[in-house]
Amino acid sequence: MSAPQRERRVGAGNRPNVVDRRRKYWNEPKLGWWESFYLFEVLRGLSITGGVFLRNMKRWMTGKKGALTAYYPEEIRADYAAHNRGKHVLTQRPDGRPQCVACNLCATVCPARVIEIQAGFDPDDPAHPKYPERFEIDYSRCIFCGFCVEACPEDAIRMVRQVPGLPVPDRHPGMWLGKEELLNWQPARDPAKPYPPKPKGGA
Amino acid sequence: MPGIFINGEPVDTGEHRTVLQVALANGFYVPHFCWHPELSIVGNCRVCLVEQEGRGVGIACNMPVYEGLSIQTDSEPVRVQRKAMLEFILLNHPVDCGICDKAGECTLQDYHYTYNGETARSHDPKLRSTKFFPLSERIILDNERCILCSRCVRFTREISKSNVLGMEQRGDSMLVRPVEDRTLDDDPYSDNVIDICPVGALLSCSFQYQARVWYLEPTPSVCPGCARGCTVNLWHRKPEWRLNALDRRENTRILRVTPLENPRVNGPWICNKGRDLGALIDRPRADRALLKGRRVSTKEAIDAARELILEAKSAVALVSSWGSNEELRAFRNALGDTFTCFVKSDSEPAENEVVEDDLLIRADKNPNTRGAQSLFGTDAPKFAEDTDLILIWGEGVDFGSLPRGVTVLFLGYWLLPENGHAEVFIPISVQTERRGHYTNFEGVVSAFEPCQPRPDGVIDAETLFPLLAAPPGSPA
Repeated sequence: MSAPQRERRVGAGNRPNVVDRRRKYWNEPKLGWWESFYLFEVLRGLSITGGVFLRNMKRWMTGKKGALTAYYPEEIRADYAAHNRGKHVLTQRPDGRPQCVACNLCATVCPARVIEIQAGFDPDDPAHPKYPERFEIDYSRCIFCGFCVEACPEDAIRMVRQVPGLPVPDRHPGMWLGKEELLNWQPARDPAKPYPPKPKGGA
Repeated sequence: MPGIFINGEPVDTGEHRTVLQVALANGFYVPHFCWHPELSIVGNCRVCLVEQEGRGVGIACNMPVYEGLSIQTDSEPVRVQRKAMLEFILLNHPVDCGICDKAGECTLQDYHYTYNGETARSHDPKLRSTKFFPLSERIILDNERCILCSRCVRFTREISKSNVLGMEQRGDSMLVRPVEDRTLDDDPYSDNVIDICPVGALLSCSFQYQARVWYLEPTPSVCPGCARGCTVNLWHRKPEWRLNALDRRENTRILRVTPLENPRVNGPWICNKGRDLGALIDRPRADRALLKGRRVSTKEAIDAARELILEAKSAVALVSSWGSNEELRAFRNALGDTFTCFVKSDSEPAENEVVEDDLLIRADKNPNTRGAQSLFGTDAPKFAEDTDLILIWGEGVDFGSLPRGVTVLFLGYWLLPENGHAEVFIPISVQTERRGHYTNFEGVVSAFEPCQPRPDGVIDAETLFPLLAAPPGSPA
């Protein structure tokens, strides 16, 4: 629902036929007698912002909770949900190689088409002959829907609570995260995945 | 021509002699693995089951038609038995569709989703077998995925007649293997077994893990490898799946070449040379015009060429037998009177290449010799004493063999040292950057479509010839 648009003629002296079609907002300021002095209103505004600033400063200095400012991205916000879909991680086999088999199902299901995988062939590992040589996610277009996690048949891609470090000077390649970055997640123990013992020998 | 009934509808059998052929020709789909229209009938996959009313269920591929035969293709007994048959075929199949290059165009995958769709009931572990058996330099065989339909074996016996492949052992130990010590390298048509394999058992080494097939789309084209002019599909990435972070050249690269079925020229087959068309086109392209080896704009080069043509007293043109019919016609209309024209052979048989055989391969390794010769005659190139300008269009000319002192105007595709030896060099577009037609040695005309962008600075030969014929200084 948009605000009703009234037509108003402006600049009648110079441009008699120009119609102002700008949208009128509900909070168009109407200054009263007192407000039109400005100085008192400015002081009132400063006292509000100054009060919030001093309160935050005091809480921050005394280490209390409730400061409104978080030092993003150095400080991780405390109020992300436990199941927040943040940054992607690639899970690993016990030997440190990615669990991913480069089947491209995540890339295919991705509605924003941000996942690009370059597959490699490893004839020495008959159980996992296909592996990702490169695995790139474009966080400038990712919508964090989590379809990639659901599509993965190998539990190779998951999303962790923390968000990726998005503030970078350039979109490309700054907001593309590659395989090395996504493989950084190395939990000591992974309760979701009881890894099978490492296969001995080839087929 | 007996009349039979399929699912209660009367159909005319026409020339066909088996129920499967009649059903497919009349729009009743019957699933099949081992049956192929060009190969003999073996009936070993047992999936093309239909019910013959009053006589039970049998395989359609080997069921002869007779007057009054009544067939049900999707009755309850057929569904039950077909499902059981698919379960049996999948008993030892690894179902590793996620990493299989055939996934997306695999008939086993399609039939499983359509007719079965259930997980295996067997508790026994699947049999393990050889994973990457090299059948040749070009093909690897995954025996775990093989369903033993024997299409590849019959292909080498009946079509390519190399008799390389055979079956070893029996039962679930059965393997497709080269017979004795032979390899598929001896077979110039070997890559066709990759296409006719209904599953992902036979895989192309050059295409392995390059892209999932649903990222690709085909562009119809014509193989320029010989005078047969087989129609082919060039597979490249769909524009909506273009890569941004990975190598951008992958977006336009030709990832694989498959036959485009054409009964008038090549049927459903092409030779291995046609499969390597991508590598032929992936050579470094020339994209700047040269004037005595100096890089200039195309406009300057065209102006210089016009001066040369105007000043020439006796000019000879070596016309390309790789030019499309449209380009050849444009050349004759624009420059045919200015030049004495000869058709040259752009490409000669390479070493170790099969020169000619009974199936497809022709000795003339140029796609449009017939089209060119119909316009410019069949005389071999010869140079008169007073020849002072030679226009060379395309490859295949040794500059050292030209008469001394003549000026050379060269229209070429590739980045070659010869380009700088010509007085004027103008880069022209290759086959995958333009559309056109070739006339093959039998006179059949086939069309090709563009699938790659033309680099800046490269001009279509069809556009270039009228510009060359215009007087110097006119707009280019």
